[in-house]
Amino acid sequence: MSRSITMGQYLPGNSFIHLLNPRIKVLSLLLVLFLLFSIQTYTGLISLFLVVLILIAVARVPFRYFLRGLRPILYIALFALVIYFFFTRGGVVLLRVGIITVESEGVREGLFVVTRLITLVLFSLLLTLTTTPLSLTYGMGYFLKPLRYIGLPTEEVAMIMAISLRFIPTLMEESQRLMRAQIARGADFETGSIFRRAKSLVPLIVPLFVSAFRRADELALAMEARGYRLGAIRTRMYEDTIAPRDWMVLAITLALIAVTFTIGL
Amino acid sequence: MVKQSEIMIEARALAYDYSGEEEPSSPALSGVNLTVHRGEYLTLIGPNGSGKTTLLKLLNALLTPSDGEVIVEGISTVDEERTPQIHKICGMIFQNPDNQLVATTVEEDIAFGLENLALPSVEIRRRVVDVAGLLGLNHLLQKPPHMLSGGEKQRVAIAGVLAMQPGCILMDEPTAMLDPAGRNDVIETVRMLNRDQGISVVHVTHFPEEAVYADRVVVLDQGRMVRQGPPAEVFNDLQLLHSLGLRGTTAVELAAMLREDGFALQPQLLHCRELVESLCSLELKS
Amino acid sequence: MFIGTEKLTHTYMPGTPFAMEALKEVSFSLSRGEFALIIGPSGSGKSTLIQHLNGLLKPTSGQVFFEDRAIGSDKTELLKLRRRIGLVFQMPEEQFFSETVFDEVAFAPRNLGLDEEQVRTGVKDALEKVGLDAELLYDRHPFQLSAGQKRLVALAAVLSLNPEVLILDEPTAGLDPAGRRHLFLLLDRLNRDTGLSVLVCTHHLDEAAAFANTVLVLQGGKVILSGPAEEVFAKRDQLYNLGLALPAVTEIMYGLVEKKLPVRTNIYTIDEARKEINKLKGRQE
Repeated sequence: MSRSITMGQYLPGNSFIHLLNPRIKVLSLLLVLFLLFSIQTYTGLISLFLVVLILIAVARVPFRYFLRGLRPILYIALFALVIYFFFTRGGVVLLRVGIITVESEGVREGLFVVTRLITLVLFSLLLTLTTTPLSLTYGMGYFLKPLRYIGLPTEEVAMIMAISLRFIPTLMEESQRLMRAQIARGADFETGSIFRRAKSLVPLIVPLFVSAFRRADELALAMEARGYRLGAIRTRMYEDTIAPRDWMVLAITLALIAVTFTIGL
Repeated sequence: MVKQSEIMIEARALAYDYSGEEEPSSPALSGVNLTVHRGEYLTLIGPNGSGKTTLLKLLNALLTPSDGEVIVEGISTVDEERTPQIHKICGMIFQNPDNQLVATTVEEDIAFGLENLALPSVEIRRRVVDVAGLLGLNHLLQKPPHMLSGGEKQRVAIAGVLAMQPGCILMDEPTAMLDPAGRNDVIETVRMLNRDQGISVVHVTHFPEEAVYADRVVVLDQGRMVRQGPPAEVFNDLQLLHSLGLRGTTAVELAAMLREDGFALQPQLLHCRELVESLCSLELKS
Repeated sequence: MFIGTEKLTHTYMPGTPFAMEALKEVSFSLSRGEFALIIGPSGSGKSTLIQHLNGLLKPTSGQVFFEDRAIGSDKTELLKLRRRIGLVFQMPEEQFFSETVFDEVAFAPRNLGLDEEQVRTGVKDALEKVGLDAELLYDRHPFQLSAGQKRLVALAAVLSLNPEVLILDEPTAGLDPAGRRHLFLLLDRLNRDTGLSVLVCTHHLDEAAAFANTVLVLQGGKVILSGPAEEVFAKRDQLYNLGLALPAVTEIMYGLVEKKLPVRTNIYTIDEARKEINKLKGRQE
């Protein structure tokens, strides 16, 4: 069912954050990541953590989407905590069980690293949850533009990305339909040895390829009929304008960096 | 509307064969002479594999003829330099609505052709809004194509073509994959464009009920043009239609049977309403 | 109840902002040997419903019945069920993956673990049932057939299971008029001659109305109308409002009635219409 397939992680909205220019968003994220790894003090880190919480509130994205996004890094965070707690020496001994000791320096550093990781993921999620995959592609593509001078067809790559995004839901829906159709003919995709299972995918993969090639063929024809030509100059419906609010965000980000380095947070 | 005699597209002694492809090359098209006038609504009918799609693609320079030529507003489709111009004059709507929408939102899709024409952004946005208003697509502009119904997808495709301000729209079975409501929407939209904007239409269809709206019907069989004329004439030539596995409208088919049974019905009726009226006038006489 | 549902509800992506209720408390039942139509605008839940009948989806709530037993989720049970209820998807030839017609049609019986002899008979029977010359087609590549032949082979690929119920989603989509007529005549013959129960989802009443005994009308995931074909088709205004046009012949009959001519309106084929209108002749003299 096409309606059930979501595109990336994007949640529609029209908050201040949603409306920012994707280029500025990508650039700001890069700057914030740089900042995050420059910060050495808890004061700085907690401040930045508060900043991301405020931004999440501004974006009006329900917090559970962020929790869901944090789930995959849960184990990494736990693992990091264990390593730091048990293997970093220094400060006061907080706990001693047999030969294992937990010392205060380990706890301090462990919590610092984990908080930094969580903040980093929250900032990244803020970007992906408030930006359509297409804008994200353009935003990132912008910073790849210099590659054109070494012969990479960046415009065409952007078009390919955009078309892929357009067809992902269509192809997902199609593969689901095909799978059900073959199950209705008694196919079994779930049981048996690995070899058997791989073989059972043939009735799925062959028609999917046939259809993808047919679609590609028809799409190419439709694009040609609508005047698309490789290498021709194109314009865009929305010029990528940078509004005052974008400059403001960029200025604030730079100011944060400046403050951090001046007072040595 | 008053039909002008100005020629929009002219095909002379047109031939095309899919040689070079694996299957035994049967000529897909041969010896077709066809003229499309400005503001004319033309339907192409014929059994599966009769060359309808090939003909459409030839008219739009998506294929180049192996023999003969196609002239679109004075430009030959062989002239590769000028194919962009031909694509702008002749828009094309394909059968599968899914495989002709390029962008991730409706408005960006309508804008696609205009972006290819390298128009200024302001002009693109103006035309997108105009066209969306005309076709009643305003409420869909921000939606991704996969969330639309089939009929809506086809109307978006039409909007994308219309935004380029074409002289002619070529349609390859645009309603084959739609439900009756979607079919109506698409047909109404195209008829409106033909009537109000004077855009020529070449419409390939399997549904006789759709074909009757045309000014002229062209019948293809095995790559040849076997008949052309006004719908009332062509659809009453049941002998020909049946021999090709085609059929007339229900009214035509029923009228033919009733004439055999001795009903002196009006000749060349096409629509249900005409049959009903003709039958009633018989009753009145008695 | 031979086959049917009770208060069947299906929600896609439940518990997310994208949740969509495709079926809302749908209840209906069919008897063995019927020729039934499911009609309704696109997005009305037709496809979701028929996938439930084949156990391909799990109900969010409610139940699906086959021979008075609720369809469960046991795997071997489902496999048996799918052998008895054949489901032909829209544009079924898009599922082709084999090198030969024989292998394509044999896919289903082989999946059931039948021996090669039984498979051979199954394939031959299925191809003959759809009116194709089995021996002539065995080694042909399925992609090289004509559009109409492909559709028939796809039908045979499901009939090779020898099901008792055949469910089809828009079986005539993309075919030319000759192919469309041929397909419905074939379904009608299978229904009459072999007692196969047939259930067709379609938009095209023009070609389907004449064959149906029972009709189910869906809109927005709910059953709006159901019952014997004639009763449902008699509700012309209601169908019209759903964007479902009656066959053109039926409209002609209604047109005549409006002009005060005494004809029946429960007429769905040209031949019936011819007979009915001929009765007027008697009145003339």
